[in-house]
Amino acid sequence: MSIVIADEPRTAALPPPEPVTPARNYLNTSYGVWSWLLTVDHKRIGLLYLVSMSIFFVVGGAAAGLVRINLLQPDGAILTEDQYNRMFTAHGVVMLFLFLIPSIPALFGNFFVPMMIGAKDLAFPKLNLASWYVYMIGAGFMVYAVLAGGIDTGWTLYPPYSSRYSHTNVFPGAFGAFITGFSSIMTGLNIMVTIHKMRCPGMTWGRLPLFIWAMYATSFIQLLGTPVVAITLVLLLVERVAGVGIFDPAIGGDPVLYQHLFWFYSHPAVYIMIVPGMGVISEIITCFSRKNVFGYKAIAWSSVGIAVVGFLVWAHHMYVAGISYYSALLFSFLTMLVAVPSAIKVFNWLSTLYRGSITFHAPMLFVLAFLVLFTVGGVTGLFLATLGTDIHLHDTYFVVAHFHFVMVGGMVLAYLAGLHYWWPKMTGRMYSDFWSKASATIIFVGFFLTFVPQFVLGYHGMPRRYPNYPAEFQIYNVLSTAGASILGLGYLLPGFYLTLSLFFGEKASANPWSATGLEWASPSPPTTFNFDSTPVVVCGPYEYSIGVDQLGRGLPEPPDSGNNPSYKETEVVH
Amino acid sequence: MNNTMPALAERASVVADRFEPLFWYIMAWTSAGTILVTLVLAYFCIRYRRAKGETIATPRILGSHRLELFWTITPLFVFLSFYAWGVWIYDGVVTPPADAPEIQIIGKQWMWKAQYEGGQRVIIGGNPGNMTEEDRAHIGALVLPLGKPVKVTFISEDVIHDFGVPAFRQKVDVVPGRYVTTWYHPTKLGEFHVFCDQYCGTWHSLMVGKIKVVPPDEFEQFIQGKGGAQGSGNSVDGSLAQKGWQHFQRLQCQSCHTPNAAAGTNLHPRAPSLEGLYGRTVPIKGGGSVVADEAYIRESIVNPGAKIVEGWERVMPGNYESQVTEEELTQLVAYIRFLKAGGMFAPNDRAPAPFGAPRLTLPTTPSGSPGGSKP
Repeated sequence: MSIVIADEPRTAALPPPEPVTPARNYLNTSYGVWSWLLTVDHKRIGLLYLVSMSIFFVVGGAAAGLVRINLLQPDGAILTEDQYNRMFTAHGVVMLFLFLIPSIPALFGNFFVPMMIGAKDLAFPKLNLASWYVYMIGAGFMVYAVLAGGIDTGWTLYPPYSSRYSHTNVFPGAFGAFITGFSSIMTGLNIMVTIHKMRCPGMTWGRLPLFIWAMYATSFIQLLGTPVVAITLVLLLVERVAGVGIFDPAIGGDPVLYQHLFWFYSHPAVYIMIVPGMGVISEIITCFSRKNVFGYKAIAWSSVGIAVVGFLVWAHHMYVAGISYYSALLFSFLTMLVAVPSAIKVFNWLSTLYRGSITFHAPMLFVLAFLVLFTVGGVTGLFLATLGTDIHLHDTYFVVAHFHFVMVGGMVLAYLAGLHYWWPKMTGRMYSDFWSKASATIIFVGFFLTFVPQFVLGYHGMPRRYPNYPAEFQIYNVLSTAGASILGLGYLLPGFYLTLSLFFGEKASANPWSATGLEWASPSPPTTFNFDSTPVVVCGPYEYSIGVDQLGRGLPEPPDSGNNPSYKETEVVH
Repeated sequence: MNNTMPALAERASVVADRFEPLFWYIMAWTSAGTILVTLVLAYFCIRYRRAKGETIATPRILGSHRLELFWTITPLFVFLSFYAWGVWIYDGVVTPPADAPEIQIIGKQWMWKAQYEGGQRVIIGGNPGNMTEEDRAHIGALVLPLGKPVKVTFISEDVIHDFGVPAFRQKVDVVPGRYVTTWYHPTKLGEFHVFCDQYCGTWHSLMVGKIKVVPPDEFEQFIQGKGGAQGSGNSVDGSLAQKGWQHFQRLQCQSCHTPNAAAGTNLHPRAPSLEGLYGRTVPIKGGGSVVADEAYIRESIVNPGAKIVEGWERVMPGNYESQVTEEELTQLVAYIRFLKAGGMFAPNDRAPAPFGAPRLTLPTTPSGSPGGSKP
């Protein structure tokens, strides 16, 4: 195998002088509640999302904790069946609609897409603010649904149970999901238009950072998929409220139709969740290995490939739901195809490390954990894509473990990697090096201990959504709960040291990781309009081996390479 | 109850024996892939780590088309081998053999109601507090014969359920309003878990029960009503079709679906004859045709206007949902299935409608011009 090595002479470009920290940045330019609630600054809106999503993550995590504690006993340790059903539904609804779907697009997409392409803001700043309000209104309905007695349908809301049989708060819950969908559409539209129209001079499509490509692919899915789930939820509510027969066969409907419509969105939606995470990985792995990304085009186009083919695989959730023989064959085949681009990405990331100069700060540790967990999550999907094995594994804990490996081991770790990577830029502060590394390690170990036993349970046939189970399953449930408590601890740590860093953290330089992206050309934290003058891009995004950023300037010394004036080991904050 | 699980899950059917090799084949490939990725990752991280103070000198490697091609094509072919093998197993699962004994199972919040052709009725699993007295008397295990295929037809009378049998490695969604068929070929004696795998409400996790695989002769005894496989609650009081005939009488279906003019009258039948209907291709008003299978017969009872036979008018009232339960529908369908030519007689004084039958107010049409005309 030949590997193309471009032997260009190394430019001896000097790093730019550390910019004078401006007196006014986007954080201290104005104060007061209204300066935040009425802001049109994409960075402030990103932080609004960060705060609200973090709260919902804690809520969803608490629900998961109760679910896992209850599973310690085969007949339910603490909750009644009704309470358990409400709890796993709350966990699913909150985590999916209020955390995973907005997570990276709404936080890092908002904050960094304009900065990475050299723009002052997103294309539609007011639409951006509106998207947060719409999200909060939808979240309000969902929180009401959960607090006022809960929902017991599972996040998938399958009729006729959800439309005609459940006596719980299906209406506010589904209506909340309907509303947050518009927030997702607004963000997707905004980012797509921004990438098309607001790239700075020299920022060609071939020079876009891979995070931007990933966000572009994600926006495509958000724009095309979300309206379908919106109309599906409306049809569901029409049947529930008005009794019009759409999905319930007793009044002339078709329950499998709902599943087609629901998964037509909700399968691509898992790519809304994971593709931005893949973009984050490409940014970080290059920076911490000081290498050009291996196979830029392969990674960029595999994102687009996932976005397109991801729309054609929805019925693999329905092999045993009563779809026709030939559609099962077709959807299984297409699912095999969509697995390939993800494999391509993993191999390219691995190759990026080859002959690199690798350091292991917290963002990189999260990335390494992502690579292992995402690979496990990806390959276990193949068991479910295969017809002969899915007819047993469908709706068991094998599925639960699989999608948690992808969504949590993949997506949440990519989110945490991004958060640790960009935290100095967002806040102007460094966090504890020791505790952040500890957190990454604890999360990785806790994650494995939580979800590997669930694969075993699934193989032995333990169904999902079961508060009562045969006694022989108990040992693996106890193991899983033990792992979950370690995992929970790992998640709590960043809450502490990141918060403390705001007050006690070392001041961060403009480019503390010595990265090449445009976002690092502005001071930390950035000024309101990001750049003093419109930047002009002269090269591709990952010229680490030459040692220049996208403006063609030299890079500062990265951490851990000799005496670095701009970076010091942060004091451990207790 | 056994409190330990074997490392390899218990296998008790032909499909389970087919599932295991494929499962471990995929496991071998995916484990190898995952371990390879992890080892390469670890090797690169150690080999190319940067010590404190070390100068950075990395080559500018942009990619390799040949490598990209290699790791695109290789996984694709591996994945397609999973696909092909999986299709083979799936094909075996969805195609039942022609002459297997049949069991009808109805899913209901939160129990399974099984009916054998011979009329035996078994309630599997569920929360006894929520059952009728009669259902409670029938609680038991689903009896299946060792080494013989059995065809099972499912339908739900409320929400979506899923009949999952881990030891058989098989699972099928039980959907309201439509019949779904699968088949089992048990290969091991013993009792095995049945789980509801599709969330169905409060007691979803109690919609569990047992399958009991017995030797074929014991199954034969059970089918003939002699065996004690299910204890006392299962005396045979008529086959499924026999029960269906009773409902047919009670609902006075025969007053319209009669093969020839009623004795002593010159009334022509008002609706098409059902003798020998099953499996025939029926021309439909407005064009097209349909094979008269269980789904068609059920639909024509529940929703008579959906598909009208060519040459007939709709006279059948559409309110049978309120008069027939899902179980009774299964029995009616069984009766119509086994109704051969000459198997029905026209209503007459010697076969009055049973007590309690609904009074049909049929239009008193002058003789010779009934609601429908026989082509």
